[in-house]
Amino acid sequence: MGILDLKKISFSYNREEFIKDLSISLNGGEFIGLLGANGSGKSTLLKLSAGILSPQMGEINLWNKPLHHYKGKDRAKLISYLPQMLDINAPFRVIELVSMGLYPYDILPQLSPEEAIEMVGLTEKKNSSITELSGGERRRVFIAMTLLQGAGILLLDEPLANLDIKYQIELIRLLRNLRDIKNISVVMALHDINMAFQFDCVYIVKDGRLIASGEPHEIIAGELLKDAFDIDVTISDIFHPLKPIK
Amino acid sequence: MRKIILLIIVSICILFVSVFILPKFINPFNLDDTGSQIIFSIRLPRVIVSILMGSALGVSGAILQGLLRNPLADPYILGISSGATLMAAAGLIFGKIIFGLFTIPLLAFIGAISTGIAVGIMGYKGGGLLPERLLLAGIGIGFLFSSILMLLMSISADEGLKRAMLWIFGDLSMADWSLIPYGLIFIFAGFLLSIWRVKGLNALILGDEIAYSLGFSPFKERLILFISVGLMTASSVSLGGIVGFIGLLIPHIVRYFVGSDCRFLLPSSALAGGILLCMADTIGRTIMSPTEIPAGIITAIIGAPYFLYLLRRKEIMGV
Repeated sequence: MGILDLKKISFSYNREEFIKDLSISLNGGEFIGLLGANGSGKSTLLKLSAGILSPQMGEINLWNKPLHHYKGKDRAKLISYLPQMLDINAPFRVIELVSMGLYPYDILPQLSPEEAIEMVGLTEKKNSSITELSGGERRRVFIAMTLLQGAGILLLDEPLANLDIKYQIELIRLLRNLRDIKNISVVMALHDINMAFQFDCVYIVKDGRLIASGEPHEIIAGELLKDAFDIDVTISDIFHPLKPIK
Repeated sequence: MRKIILLIIVSICILFVSVFILPKFINPFNLDDTGSQIIFSIRLPRVIVSILMGSALGVSGAILQGLLRNPLADPYILGISSGATLMAAAGLIFGKIIFGLFTIPLLAFIGAISTGIAVGIMGYKGGGLLPERLLLAGIGIGFLFSSILMLLMSISADEGLKRAMLWIFGDLSMADWSLIPYGLIFIFAGFLLSIWRVKGLNALILGDEIAYSLGFSPFKERLILFISVGLMTASSVSLGGIVGFIGLLIPHIVRYFVGSDCRFLLPSSALAGGILLCMADTIGRTIMSPTEIPAGIITAIIGAPYFLYLLRRKEIMGV
């Protein structure tokens, strides 16, 4: 039994099946990278895990209780989800937006909005309007909000997209530290296969099914990638296990 | 903080001018019978109605722009006003008086609320109220009702038609104490609902998925806020017809001063909308006195150039 259990879930929309009979069990402190081609079902899987979508078949349990039995605020303290598309046109200030991470709480938790903003390196811009920031900076603002929300399970849909390599590395480092200190679990959809080596475990999704899972150096093998992404790959040095970022 | 104090002082000055000075000075410390008659029976109810209407429209606009994630949304875009107008105009044109003075406002309120419900039903799909569907349903219903209204007007007699036209352009001259308690109750109820769900509104502006992740049910939040807008818009239209500009542009202007956080944006839009309409109405009944210029025309003449000036200087909703 993990803290988040997906048991034989299937999900279809407009008669098209996006997730097929998929089971995953997430434990505390796990750091998981989710790989798969576009349309493979990564985002759908994260949305199902967050409760945004409901599976037609199977069940999802959070701490051994059906996910949809939780009240919104209670669920938000345990699990948070950050979508891939962050489309916002209202000129919130950075500090205002990050502070929304406290909405599920009546009694304020230890982390303050200023500390969360500092964690993503945006202290100098805390009073700027979000509409004045670059794509990467906006994403870091939302990541700060997610960190402030303080849930033990973070489901992040391609959070590294539009981040400079520096911030990609820093975000991974930050999340790993949080995992070490607070035992949080992270599931992150990835578009860059190289980044998979920074995770303890990698899941590969294809056509709504989990086709492989395990340590990155075992999983990122030619045949599996060829199958998952429908490409002809040759493993070069780039794909050799890098040292995890410390 | 200084800006808010300034706004409150300006508001009090405008109120004083509207009640005692324009269009003709009446000394509040030396009231004769005629003077007190003018102030208590004519000016004061009119000032209160203009503030109520302007506040309702300002807040509704701010809510809808967040709720529909669209900077062009205003309280009339959901077709609520066309429903109200159609029913009120039908009452005026056919001259049906069923409930005395209350007939037209009551017809307008019924028209507005039933249109709101129809738009809500059409905007519902797959377990949620979808912003785009709400907008399209509102626009579709708005066109349908406007065309029926045109048809009614083209076949109607002169007197009813003139009154209906006045009403369509926003006519505060029919302001009267008897309606104020009802307007106040519904507008205040709508405002309280929106303040109760203000965190949900902030979260919805970030998108339904983030709102859900923060613990909100996007459907429930949108439904409550939609009801709040419906109540306020219906009451406002019932009190004095249609006044353009405030619902669309007041929230944008207020955002420059207080930002996007709806906890500050909603009360400030209420204050600014109420004061602007009160000022516009005072100007409208003064400059060509005794002829009145509808308040809606004055709000647009004052507000639109100021809005365009701000648009040149800064960006609106990120564009």
